Amino acid sequence: MTGRLPHYRYLLLGAFAVAGVIFVISPLAIVVLNSFSSVAYNVFPPEGYSVRWYENLAQQSAFYLAAVRSVLLALSATVVSLVIGTLAAYSIVRYRPRWSDLIKGFLLSPIVLPNIVLGVAVFMFFIRTGLYGTYFSLVVTHVVVVLPLVIAVLTAALANYDWTLQEAAMDLGAGPIRTFLRVTMPQISISMIISGVFAFITSFDQVETTLFLVRPGANTLPIEMFLYLQKWQDPTIAALSTVLIVFAFLIVSVLSLAMRNRGLPLAVLRQDKEKSE
Amino acid sequence: MTDLSAIPAAAASKPAIAPAKEPFSRRMMPWLLLAPVFAVMAFAFVAPLLVFLEYSFWRFEYGKLIEDFTFDTYVEFLTDPYFHTIVYDTLKMALITTLCSVAVGYPLAYALWRITRPGLQKWFGLIIFSPILVSVVVRSYGWTVLLADQGPVNWFLQVVLHLPEPVRLVFNLTGVVISLTHVFLPFVVFPIYSTMTRLDPTLREAAMDLGAGWWTTFRRVTFPLTLPGLLAGAPISFTPARGAFVTPQLLGGGRVLVLPLQVFQATTDINWPLAAVGGIALLVLAMITVAVSNRLLRYSEV
Repeated sequence: MTGRLPHYRYLLLGAFAVAGVIFVISPLAIVVLNSFSSVAYNVFPPEGYSVRWYENLAQQSAFYLAAVRSVLLALSATVVSLVIGTLAAYSIVRYRPRWSDLIKGFLLSPIVLPNIVLGVAVFMFFIRTGLYGTYFSLVVTHVVVVLPLVIAVLTAALANYDWTLQEAAMDLGAGPIRTFLRVTMPQISISMIISGVFAFITSFDQVETTLFLVRPGANTLPIEMFLYLQKWQDPTIAALSTVLIVFAFLIVSVLSLAMRNRGLPLAVLRQDKEKSE
Repeated sequence: MTDLSAIPAAAASKPAIAPAKEPFSRRMMPWLLLAPVFAVMAFAFVAPLLVFLEYSFWRFEYGKLIEDFTFDTYVEFLTDPYFHTIVYDTLKMALITTLCSVAVGYPLAYALWRITRPGLQKWFGLIIFSPILVSVVVRSYGWTVLLADQGPVNWFLQVVLHLPEPVRLVFNLTGVVISLTHVFLPFVVFPIYSTMTRLDPTLREAAMDLGAGWWTTFRRVTFPLTLPGLLAGAPISFTPARGAFVTPQLLGGGRVLVLPLQVFQATTDINWPLAAVGGIALLVLAMITVAVSNRLLRYSEV
């Protein structure tokens, strides 16, 4: 089959694939191109090239502070959700407590809730409890947003984990905590890394849930950009976006390197397949 | 395996004092491990939603919130044609976005599946997946530049296709749908792709051997068998599209008024009862979507 000469429908499919790649890449490519524009308005083809928007960006301390805030917030939310999410996933899979399906459904339910509803609801709640504007309120909200992701990935990973390894470690005299850290955790580490990366990205990109919670002047990066875009449309935001795209590109590169060394995506797919069969 | 796991850790190391029944501390273990998650969920999910529900029964008069128990805001929401239009537009936006992402996503998943060179396949998959890593704000901004009257798309339409004037692609529903399709595409491609990889290749070969052409094989074998993936992917696009806020705000230009924007607007106007009712309407739509998609999935598996 595959050795045959390219038929018209393979050419068609190839053309569609190329069109799809262009569709996926173009909004990111235009942002990069626009960031080197020499004029403040958007025009294509660009009238000239300069780095003035990067110079302008370098002087905007609001963006630096917002970026630092976003990274710290995303790190806190990721660490907290990974720790408590792992405990919960372990409990659900290992002990199968009564109503475990119901519990899992409850823990995954924030996925269905539109983020803007959660954002407004926590805003009203924190105003009433007097916690509005605290760092704690932001972290706990982001934990709720990323927790379903962590729990979904880790329960799947633990369901495929060979529990006899744990029993062997326990039989050989290792305590429960040592067994978890030395035997169980290394086995699910790939899933922990994946869910951690996704939790970080999700938290870092939150707009809807954060919009009402941040105090004026203490914005996170996406909020700062969102508000900036409502006022101005100059390529400063393109320069900043380019920096973020470069970071995303670095993450992809590191992940694909990790994949090559550990055969990562195939392993995940295979586990998934075994589970469904 | 279940028998082994029932043996308490203490019994494994000290068999002489193995208790007949699981000790209390061990029976409490699963709940102890779940406690932190329950605490967070109760505090930042359940309690806020209850407060939200409570505000939906309050009144908003002369710029003030009045504590009350009334269904007035619900009645207003259900009878005012203004809100009917908003709900209708929300569903329309989500539905068109879903159809577009499935229409683009299915052939892309098919292409990803048919690519035989592993290196090429990996890169193709990575490219489709990569937009997830870039903030929705950045992507929406990219589309405003791309679809603007002086943007590259209109440049192409005018210079290459010689259209007399720019096509209005941004600050209306078209722009919002294009951008949302871009946002949800990866989430639609992967469930479809994963059902394709599970497809038994001998079924297609059998169909071909029995004389079915490419189109018949696709229509009678491949497509029906990958339908569950398509039906799993559609709500993955529909659910967040209906709740999308950033994209309609940045690309709608104030002309696309959907429920998330109405909730946002009412909250900033301190009309919290109206925000709460709008949010509950969104939640009801979410639950209907889940129920319908579960039903569809069940049918497609039979």
